[in-house]
Amino acid sequence: MPRKYDQLFETVRQNVDEVDVQALKSAIDNGDSKPFVIDVRERDEWEQGHVPGARFIPRGFLEMRIEEQVPEKDQPVYLYCAGGVRSIFAAQALQQLGYENAISISGGFGAWKDAGYPFDIPRQWTPDQRQRYSRHFLIPEVGEHGQGKLLDAKVLMIGAGGLGSPAALYLAAAGVGKLGIVDSDEVDLSNLQRQIVHSTSRVGEPKTESARTFVNDLNPDVEVVGIHERLNASNVLDLVADYDVVVNGADNFATRYLLNDACVILGKPIVDGSIFRFEGQVTVYKPHEGPCYRCMFPEPPPADLAPT
Amino acid sequence: MLPGVIGVLQATEVIKLILGQGDPLVGRLLTFDALESTFRTLKVGRDPECPACGAEAKLDASQVRDMDYQVSCELPIAGD
Repeated sequence: MPRKYDQLFETVRQNVDEVDVQALKSAIDNGDSKPFVIDVRERDEWEQGHVPGARFIPRGFLEMRIEEQVPEKDQPVYLYCAGGVRSIFAAQALQQLGYENAISISGGFGAWKDAGYPFDIPRQWTPDQRQRYSRHFLIPEVGEHGQGKLLDAKVLMIGAGGLGSPAALYLAAAGVGKLGIVDSDEVDLSNLQRQIVHSTSRVGEPKTESARTFVNDLNPDVEVVGIHERLNASNVLDLVADYDVVVNGADNFATRYLLNDACVILGKPIVDGSIFRFEGQVTVYKPHEGPCYRCMFPEPPPADLAPT
Repeated sequence: MLPGVIGVLQATEVIKLILGQGDPLVGRLLTFDALESTFRTLKVGRDPECPACGAEAKLDASQVRDMDYQVSCELPIAGD
């Protein structure tokens, strides 16, 4: 039987649980686990600010996307819109999908702001960035929030050689915002069999410049800082201090100990890799959470036992 | 090809650390044998007497600046 909108709204509202923004705030602050809070507004509304920790699923996509975001249907799911109307219809839709605790926030984001509660303003993406990182946006472990973290991250690469080349390319492709590359060498023809960030036309160039050319062409969002120097005791602390994570691609003992000591002092993680003939190794030295390089090798082996 | 495998594994660990996702290889050594095509993971623990990060380690910035790592990488033993 056809009904007027007002009648429809009242009927739906009677069958939906509603709480106010105060209740939402205390569920976020005091709950044992983080509650699922879904923002069902449109993108332009979301971009002007949203409840911290909320996930963005516009009303039109709610039924299609909710199950990948909230797999367990007995979980409480808080839904909000701008004023508390769209979220009532959204809650009804979730009830029909079997969500037992779909709750609409009365007053919506307007009431949240009026109550003086904090809100996040998401990063603004250019249309190109939205396309470039679209696959990341779809992965729950990354999403727009994670992509923002990647673009804000600063990674220091020691060496643009065999290990540093693929690492730099994938980090740049993924959109790590700043790549510091320390390498004092120039590109040699014999490097090209494995050092894939360089190329035949750039033989003779400093490796830092050659890597910058490739990375800039791959992803203009990435700032490359070329450090055309050898890592040594007088520059290591200042260099490492500016970065969040260090990738070691230099295969010699002196650099490993030097880097280790600097990173233990500064509390920075090292992602270490090494290769010997047909075997490779990877580990992460995270100061005070796991072993450092010296925990495993307190001092270097005698020179005649050390592989080069 | 092997540097590609290892370098990309390193990049993956970096991404995990930045995102705060998963279990990075902290306290674990991942090895790849390209001839056998096998991966292995070995657990590695902290050394409480480590001269760099142990409870009594006295490592500081001036020590790093003053050391000639090309000549010797030894740190004074903790407690001395």
